[in-house]
Amino acid sequence: MVGALAVCSGLIDLIEHGADSSTLLITGSGMGLLGALLFGRVAGPDKARPVDIIAATTLAMTLGILLVAGLYVMTGAAQRPDDALFEATTGITTTAMSVIDPTGLGYGLRFLRSGSQWLGGFAALLVGIVILPFFGFGREFADRSSSGGFRPLAPDEMSATRNILRLYIPGTGLIWGGYMLAGMSAFDGLLLAMSTVSTGGFTNGANEFADPSVQWVAIVGMLLAGSSMVTLWHLVVGRGGLHRQTGLAMYLGLHVTGVLLLVLLSTGIDLAAARRLLFVVAASVSTTGFPMGVPVGWPAGAPVLLLLLVSIGAMSGSAGGGLQIRQHRALMKLALREMARQLHPRAVLKVRLAGRVAGEDTLRQIVVLQFLFVAVIFSTAFLVAVFGLDLASAISAAVHATATAGPVRGLDGVMVDPTEWSRSVRLALLPAMVFGRLSIYPAVVAVAALLNLLRDKARVRRRYRAHRHGGSL
Amino acid sequence: MKRPAGRWETTTGQVTGIALLFVSAGMLGSAVIESIGGDQGLAMTLAALVTLVPGAALWLSTRPGQIDRAAVFSAVAGTWLIVSVFGALPYLFAGTFNRSGIGFPVVLADALFESVSGFSCTGSTVFGSHNLIADQGPGILMYRQFTQWIGGMGIVVLVVTVLPALRASGLGLIGAEAPGEGGDRLAPRMAQTARRFWYLYAGLTGLIAVALIAVGMSLFDAVAHAFTTASTGGFSTRDASIGYWDSVAVEMVIMIGLILGAANFTLHSRSLVARRPVHHHDPEFRGYIWLLTGATLVVTILLVDDGMGFTRSLRSAAFNVVTLGTSGGFGNATGPGSDGDFVRWAAGPQLILLILLMTGGCTGSTSGGVKVMRLIIGISHARRTLRGIRHPRAVLPVRHGTGVMAEPMVERIAGFMVVYGMLVVSGTLVVAALGTDLVTAMGGVVGSLGNMGPALNRAGPTASFVDGFSTPARMVLAFLMLVGRLELFPMLLMLVAPYRTLHDRVRSR
Repeated sequence: MVGALAVCSGLIDLIEHGADSSTLLITGSGMGLLGALLFGRVAGPDKARPVDIIAATTLAMTLGILLVAGLYVMTGAAQRPDDALFEATTGITTTAMSVIDPTGLGYGLRFLRSGSQWLGGFAALLVGIVILPFFGFGREFADRSSSGGFRPLAPDEMSATRNILRLYIPGTGLIWGGYMLAGMSAFDGLLLAMSTVSTGGFTNGANEFADPSVQWVAIVGMLLAGSSMVTLWHLVVGRGGLHRQTGLAMYLGLHVTGVLLLVLLSTGIDLAAARRLLFVVAASVSTTGFPMGVPVGWPAGAPVLLLLLVSIGAMSGSAGGGLQIRQHRALMKLALREMARQLHPRAVLKVRLAGRVAGEDTLRQIVVLQFLFVAVIFSTAFLVAVFGLDLASAISAAVHATATAGPVRGLDGVMVDPTEWSRSVRLALLPAMVFGRLSIYPAVVAVAALLNLLRDKARVRRRYRAHRHGGSL
Repeated sequence: MKRPAGRWETTTGQVTGIALLFVSAGMLGSAVIESIGGDQGLAMTLAALVTLVPGAALWLSTRPGQIDRAAVFSAVAGTWLIVSVFGALPYLFAGTFNRSGIGFPVVLADALFESVSGFSCTGSTVFGSHNLIADQGPGILMYRQFTQWIGGMGIVVLVVTVLPALRASGLGLIGAEAPGEGGDRLAPRMAQTARRFWYLYAGLTGLIAVALIAVGMSLFDAVAHAFTTASTGGFSTRDASIGYWDSVAVEMVIMIGLILGAANFTLHSRSLVARRPVHHHDPEFRGYIWLLTGATLVVTILLVDDGMGFTRSLRSAAFNVVTLGTSGGFGNATGPGSDGDFVRWAAGPQLILLILLMTGGCTGSTSGGVKVMRLIIGISHARRTLRGIRHPRAVLPVRHGTGVMAEPMVERIAGFMVVYGMLVVSGTLVVAALGTDLVTAMGGVVGSLGNMGPALNRAGPTASFVDGFSTPARMVLAFLMLVGRLELFPMLLMLVAPYRTLHDRVRSR
């Protein structure tokens, strides 16, 4: 897929007479051929274990990052390999803490940059709707039932993948059309649409959101991108019942509450400022992270509110990051159950989510997910703090990286440029981005599998050495 | 003993009444000290009488009723609330927090904050450069220390020692108040168990006082600091806290005292029975010592890397890691910007201190925070869940030491941590919305919920909470201190009780 993206980028660059077309076309074709060869020649196991599929997901994302980074190095878009790696990671993980000035890039590379986010968004949807429910946890929340004669989104793995594409591609087209109607050029609109639908957040110029109509399209696009694919699918197939979807209500409620709180805390808010606040809130909740200046009179509580919105994140089953709304709802219900249990220790109390009883295993995994999410944030914050960031910036950067929410906003409301950070700080943020984009579990499982593999290899080698030196096994 | 008829049957009233009597006794003792060395003896005596009258009235007019779980929570939470309110009276009557340009609501809020911070053993203070500790009389200072001492082992545990009528229900009351997962029995009768806890506590306090005198403190300061060391409280009789003495020996005694105070008192009891230390057999205590040692080493390395010399780094790191890791909250900074002023350290060591603010000490101790045992079981639970993905059909127990934890206990701990996390996040948001920056708000909320004392940034070890937080924000923090001291649920259930009553009434109609 990265090869195909590179070829497309090369073709666009060729049409626009860019300087990177040959590199992109040749490298992309090579990658594509190698991928096709591996896909065609290497047979998968008869029955893959869930853990293998989960670990392979992480491996695929890591490989994608390395390939895109290689393209940045070969085309000279990034001067140093670590800059290329950072840019590729923020692209594929849809984090958008960019260190490359896009205005200096050709058409092909700009398409590659936004395309990498589009691919990353698709990967996030696959993880959230196919990989985790089918092979990890939360199977009871996969939309598999065809009750009432309606087609479900995810009756099986392959159909789910096809259905995701059926929504993802037209969604991109819809937002592209919106940007063009708002006055953007076709190419810029396409790039921004790819970054919007994937909750990526890359922009291609400093003043892309200066026009209010572009802001409105972006707000609607971010709202859609952060919505659950299951909800959107129900809308498309006419299943209805949206008013009963508490997840959607909470998602929209977060936007309303966020804007109201910011308006209440701020001073001198007019309609234009309120629209900008809605933009900021939508960019935070959907974890898109499009940059937007904040009104004068930015209150002290606003950065904390935005950090909270970013860590809550978008709806489960969307391309958005964060811990996600279903997980938060489960945690809130668990907290209430725990309080009820203090008074009635022997009562059997079930947790219901989206009209279904959540299994105890699923609840346990959600609790552990929260635990791991916090652990990733704190360990990342510690690393970047050791590498020189102040405490507030370290916490903020770690939350944004783990939630894949894009550029960090300083306490004064101004966007922080990642190029101001040291290289070690930027590199320390990369694992958090990958962990966050893969909803933590797959990455942790892959790391554990890798460690087990290394331990087994070391054990075999130790036994072999002991055997060679005449010791008994 | 047969109880006279005509008394109201309310456990909350009975427990609160006796608790108020204990508090008024403490106020009277402090009033005597103030009469000798200060000028607010009369005001403190008046506060003691105002506390004594309702305490005696409640004690004489009520008797313990039927104890169910709801009654246990309401008795414990109600007692702590009422004691905290009456505990503010000496500050109000003595005019401790009166200062020019400040209205009565702020003075009242400051007195309440100091009282709650004392009884909950938090150690956050509203004294500061605007209102020096050095300007206070000895009675007020000793009263402050006393509130932490009485709150350290627990007011309700103290009440149980003199209320045998509670019988087995006493375990529920102690369990609802004690840090950790329920109360351990040290003796067949609950009153005996409670007494044994208090004997141990008083013995530890005495030992610390003697050791502090031996390293050069005056009798007054030694007793005062022994009160707040054994209780892991953190109040001091000096504005610079332990930094006033600038003595390694004093710091060592305080550190050892804090570590013992933050260890499980059941282990101390067993050690006394066995006549040898048994602490090292306990996995929680071992984890706790490893945690403190590891954090000290990492902070020392980071401070050395930042340019502080090795000896100075080790001293500052060890003291601050121990004092925050045990929820003590003392400071060894001699002034703003000195070695022990950790808010001037680089961000890395500060983040470790922030994590320690959450962790706390051992279960069954006087410390606050999440507790090491919960953390160990939480990590074990996470490992089990991750292994479950690799081996979906395996039966994987959660282990603690050599034992296997019961699933309901694991679920309870997981639920506790979820609620704790939610309180940290929502508390930070509320405090920040009341005009505090991110780091100060987060440090204040984590420190208050964990009953730690100093926060980060603008409310560090050399600053006052008046500098870092607005008055409404300080009230939120005071509430969180009580929530944290009672291990979340009693206070939260008290909050939802009116809603539950209303809900039940509507349903019955």
